[in-house]
Amino acid sequence: MSFLLPKLTCKREVDQAIKSVAEKVLVLRFGRDNDAVCLQLDDILAKTAHDLSKMAVIYLVDVNDAPVYTQYFDISYIPSTVFFFNGQHMKVDYGSPDHTKFVGSFKTKQDFIDLIEVIYRGAMRGKLIVRSPIDPNNIPKYDLLYQGI
Amino acid sequence: RPEHRRETARFWRENRAEAALRERCLVPAEEYERFAQALEQALAEHQRREDERILQMAAEIREAERRQRETVRAALQKYCSFFLNHTQLQPEPELCAEPSVCRPPAGPERDSTCAAEQPGPSRMQTGPDLAWMESGKVLTFIGHQETEGKGNVHTGAKPPWLTEEEEDGSKQQIGPSYEEFLKHSEQ
Repeated sequence: MSFLLPKLTCKREVDQAIKSVAEKVLVLRFGRDNDAVCLQLDDILAKTAHDLSKMAVIYLVDVNDAPVYTQYFDISYIPSTVFFFNGQHMKVDYGSPDHTKFVGSFKTKQDFIDLIEVIYRGAMRGKLIVRSPIDPNNIPKYDLLYQGI
Repeated sequence: RPEHRRETARFWRENRAEAALRERCLVPAEEYERFAQALEQALAEHQRREDERILQMAAEIREAERRQRETVRAALQKYCSFFLNHTQLQPEPELCAEPSVCRPPAGPERDSTCAAEQPGPSRMQTGPDLAWMESGKVLTFIGHQETEGKGNVHTGAKPPWLTEEEEDGSKQQIGPSYEEFLKHSEQ
């Protein structure tokens, strides 16, 4: 379903999106179009994009197209979804160790909608980190790997 | 000893203390020797005791680490065996061998090592949810991100959208340029 969502293919386009999307949550899905979990997530994103169009703008980014961003956000598992508002990176406490991005897919469309709503409201109040409304059982679990430490 | 006497005399003169006290304050040579020796012995003793204490602490830490590893391994084994016995999924021995892929225990078999004890009813909820997450949806791992010293979001490095990097072949000057003017006039 990824052909329904707009794609960003280079660092400059990602920069442009971050700096230009205003008064809406910017959702960047980092992953690959042919990956199973990415397809699942993209399906949810595509189906909710219209309903959330007043609050959010969604783009897909292939991790190979913008390695600067893959490195900066320390993306080791895909899909990883990063949220911005007015050029500011929004952090979310999902109950997982990493607040800078959402790793994996959402269980239901409602989970994603609720999350966007919470981010939007928090950002409009000037917060830079919000707490996720999603049930921690529905958050995909993964291990942070510490290499060479 | 001579310089000791001289120094005491000087100190007394400078501070104008009682002359009688001065005699009492002089330390004879043997006393000094005795003192020096006692000091050396006490120091050696103290050093020895400190070293012993450090070795003991190291041994305790090693023991604690070993115990931690044992409990983690035991917990993992128990969880893996529970998982293999109670689900319809094909047994995947790699899941047990690689602890990084195993999910934290959410089933009814809870070891004492687990921090949070979930009450009975929530066990029913985690059953199907575990199936959603486990049934083939292992997240693709794309490799540890080496930044070669540049830093990332966790270390507070400068975000990429704030770093200006000119792509190859882009013009340095902004505004109209001569070539574009020529092209425009040719139209």
